[in-house]
This record gives sequence, C-alpha cells and structure tokens, in this order.
Amino acid sequence: MIQLQNVSRWYGQVIGLNDVTCEIGPGVTALLGMNGAGKSTLMRMVTGQIQQTTGRITVYGQEPFANPEVYRRIGYCPEIDNFYEHRTGRQFVEFLARLAGFDAKKAKERTQFVLEHVGMADRADKKIAGYSKGMRQRIKLAQAMLHDPDIILLDEPLNGLDPVGRREFIDLLAELAAVGKTILVSSHILFEVEQMTRSILLLHRGRLLASGDLTVIRQFIDKYPHRVRIDTPQPREVAQRLVGLPYVVNVQFDPRGNGIELQTREPDQFYDQIPRLVLEDGLEIDGFSSPDNNLESIFRYLVDA
Amino acid sequence: MIETFVFKSALADFMRLRRVLVWLLVAVALFGVAKAFVSVTDQSTQEAYVMMSSVFVFRLLALTAAIFSTAVISQEVEQKTIVYLLTRPIARWKLLLARTLAAIVAVAVISCLGAIMVSFAVFGRWHDLLNRDLVALLMGSAAYCSLFVLVSLIINRAMIVCLIFAFGWETAIPNMPGDLNWISVSSYLTSIAKRPATTGEKNLLDILGGMLGTNTIAPSTGWTVLTLLTLFCLALGAWWFTHFEYVPREDAE
Repeated sequence: MIQLQNVSRWYGQVIGLNDVTCEIGPGVTALLGMNGAGKSTLMRMVTGQIQQTTGRITVYGQEPFANPEVYRRIGYCPEIDNFYEHRTGRQFVEFLARLAGFDAKKAKERTQFVLEHVGMADRADKKIAGYSKGMRQRIKLAQAMLHDPDIILLDEPLNGLDPVGRREFIDLLAELAAVGKTILVSSHILFEVEQMTRSILLLHRGRLLASGDLTVIRQFIDKYPHRVRIDTPQPREVAQRLVGLPYVVNVQFDPRGNGIELQTREPDQFYDQIPRLVLEDGLEIDGFSSPDNNLESIFRYLVDA
Repeated sequence: MIETFVFKSALADFMRLRRVLVWLLVAVALFGVAKAFVSVTDQSTQEAYVMMSSVFVFRLLALTAAIFSTAVISQEVEQKTIVYLLTRPIARWKLLLARTLAAIVAVAVISCLGAIMVSFAVFGRWHDLLNRDLVALLMGSAAYCSLFVLVSLIINRAMIVCLIFAFGWETAIPNMPGDLNWISVSSYLTSIAKRPATTGEKNLLDILGGMLGTNTIAPSTGWTVLTLLTLFCLALGAWWFTHFEYVPREDAE
C-alpha cells in the first residue's frame, strides 16, 4: 500500500508536486498527466530516489527514501532509456538480480523466467547497444519484475512498444493485478490508460486534479458538449440528417468540404446513430474522431469546472 | 552477500579490457621513458628511479584515482544508470563503500604496475625502493580515491576539480617553502615511501616531481594523517550519499 499525505516537492522555485494526498492499493492504477505534470516526480518519491519537501509518503508503512526494506517490495521501470550498453540484456538483468539479493544460480533462473515473460529470452544474449527501443523497453520491464515485488511502478512503459508488444504488456499487467500486485503506471496517453485500468490519478501541473474511476470522470466530462468530427464526402447530407437530433448542439462545416464538426450533449447516443447513417441512409462516412477524447480536453473540463 | 557482489562486479567493470587497455599501454610507455631517461641522465640509478617515480608513477596514481573515483557514483549519475543501483535492496553506504573499495583496488593495481615497470627499467630488477613505493601507492590509492569520491558526491563536474587537484595542487604545494607541504597528500606519500633526498642542481623534472620543497614529515605522521583522511572521507561520503539525492539532473521535472 502506498500512501501520500499532503506531499509537495519543490525544485528550487519550481513546484514539481503540490499538496498531493492519495492512497494506491492493489490492482492497476494509472497515473495520468501531460508532460511536466509531476508523474515522474511522484514515481521517484515513491521509489525513494528523491525526498518530498513537505508531507509524508509511506510504502507499507515505511518511508521509502534510501530504504532497502522498501526496495525489496518495489519493482521500478524508469522512463529513462539508459543502460550499461556494453552488457547483453541477460547480463544486465542478471546483474540486477544479484543486486536484488539472489545467489548466482537463482539469479540465472529468475533472469531466464522474466526474460521469457517479456518475450526477450531469444534475443537477450545480444548487447543492449544494438537493441531497438521496444527491446530496451522489455528489458526494463524484465528487471522491474525480477524479484517478484508486491509493488510495480512503471514510468511510461508503453513507449516504443509495437502494437503486439502493447497488447502483451497490458495482458501481463492484468495477470499481475489478478494476483494482488499493486501496479502504478504513468502515461500521458488516455487511450493507453483506458485499455489498462479504470482506476486513475490525474495530475496537472503538480496537483492531483482527480482520482478514482475513469468512468466517473468520463460521465462528469460527458455533462459538457463533446466535439465530434466526421469525415465524409457528403457533409451537407450528413449535417442535415444529424442536426435534427435533440442532443446535437451545433454543426460546423469544414471549409475544405470533406467533413463536419459538431457538438453533442449525449455522446453515447450520438455514436449509436453513426452506423444508421451508413446502413439506413446510405451516407458515406470515411471516419470519425473526437478532438475532446484526449487528456488536454479532460484537463480543460476539470480545471474549468 | 550483496556487498561482495557489488565489489566484485564494480572491480570487474573497472578492470575490463577496454577500460584498462590504455593504462597497460601507459605502463609499457613508462618502461620506455624510464629506460630512455636512465640512458641520458648522469644521476645515479637510485636518483633516477626516485625522479621517474615522483614525476610519473605518483602522477599516474593521482590521475587514475581521479578517473576511477568519478566512475564510482558520478559517472553513474551522468549516464543515468544510477537509478538501477539506488532502487535495489542494498543500503546506500554499503553500495558506496563496496564500489569505492573496487576503485581503490583498480587504482592500486594500475599504479603499482607502473612502479614495477619503472623499477625494472631503471634497476633491471625488483628493488628495495620499489617495495617502499608499493606500500605508499597502496596508501595513496586509498587516500586519493576516498577524497575524490567524496568530492564527486558533493560537487558537479568533479573530474575537472580532481584533475586540477591531482596535477596542480599536488605538484605546486610540495614545492612550496616552509610547512605548506603538510596540506598535500603527495608529501605524506613521499614520507611513507621514505624517499632519499636528491642531490645536485634542481631542474624542471624536480619541479614536476614536487621535489623543490623540504619534506620533514615523518613516515608515522604520513601513515596517521592519510589513514585518518581516508576514514574521514569514506565516513563523510557514506553519510552524504545516504542523505542526499542522486538523480539525473535533466530528468528533474
């Protein structure tokens, strides 16, 4: 269990984290925020690399800074992309396994196990200097899991992973969460996070803006009109069909004539209508997207609220 | 024992071929330089050895100590790999001491190799002066490394400061008149090595070897001061490393 009570962290005159209070328990929790929001600062404080300026942080009841007892229970995958490049992936993970306290034989076994788990067993004997971004990311994940920690902190772990790797990684997180691990994943991409968990901590400029179930936050956001863009070669016909719906607030035509952008108060009902446009009315729809379906919009809503 | 593993792995890293190759070449070069010096100088072989040892071997000691000491923590911070070390279940002070000890051993091996080369170049054999120098080099490795590690923990760009200390301070201070040599590590090492005083006219090599001043430090004082210096630096370094943050600077949000 990770607990933060009124935690602030200053870097000189710049505030990195501002009066954050929260608890993080078993399961996957996403730490969501734009670049510079304070995600890495929070991660570094929980992993005991840096100290809070004010407030209190505990991990299973203990202060984490420079505390080996805490490190026995924590696995950390940092955002940085730096390694001992002259070592192979296997040597790197095995080295860290020894540092985690395993004897030589057990370290080899654990290394093989986690490398298989992250799909790197067959490529682990090449030097890290020659690894792709995705391979490096997998090695970082492997070292975070190697001592079977109770808490796993992953700082932007999906960076550089291909779609298959992402899927495998998300499945792996689900497995770990199912056996009671506490997992904190930071990301600045909402779409990524939604695939991993419903439980989020939303940071913005160092402040904890919201916490809890992503669905609740979504519903809150859905009180505001959502913008939806529809790409179509028949903008006039599509607009004519949609503008009559009670929950469509307004419609704007793209000046290039290849789409419309509208606002709706009931996004779920509105999205149900889109297949009908194609199937019943025979209108041509090339695609649709929501400019509001991103973090910036969520922050805007929450800050304005 | 994690500490033993940290020591062994750090030593293996410091002594890996690509890293020590240049030092092996330096040692071979020292042999050549000492051989050439003996063939052109009119000094006795004993004086020639003292000169070569002071000018090259003890400078090599300070140089390697500066380089390996900054690799203990400072380089890990710069390369951002420090995060992997600091998030493992080992107390920071143990991590620091184990890695510092590895640096001391690496520096001692390289500088002793240099001294052996000079001895064989000058005397053609293992000389008694070499024995005394080896002892001083071992003490010097511990003193310089612990001092430089402490410096690297406290300030940024420690390498520059350590090199200025090794080549500027340690060359200039022993040449100063009076008792100023009491504030130079090199002077204590000279006293531990029980170097015989050189005779004749002083030249540039005497200046580079820090042999212009009068060293009145007793060997026992040299041992005491350098042992205390080493212990103080190690203790302060361990405390400092345990209480302060070491994260890659540019990563701080």
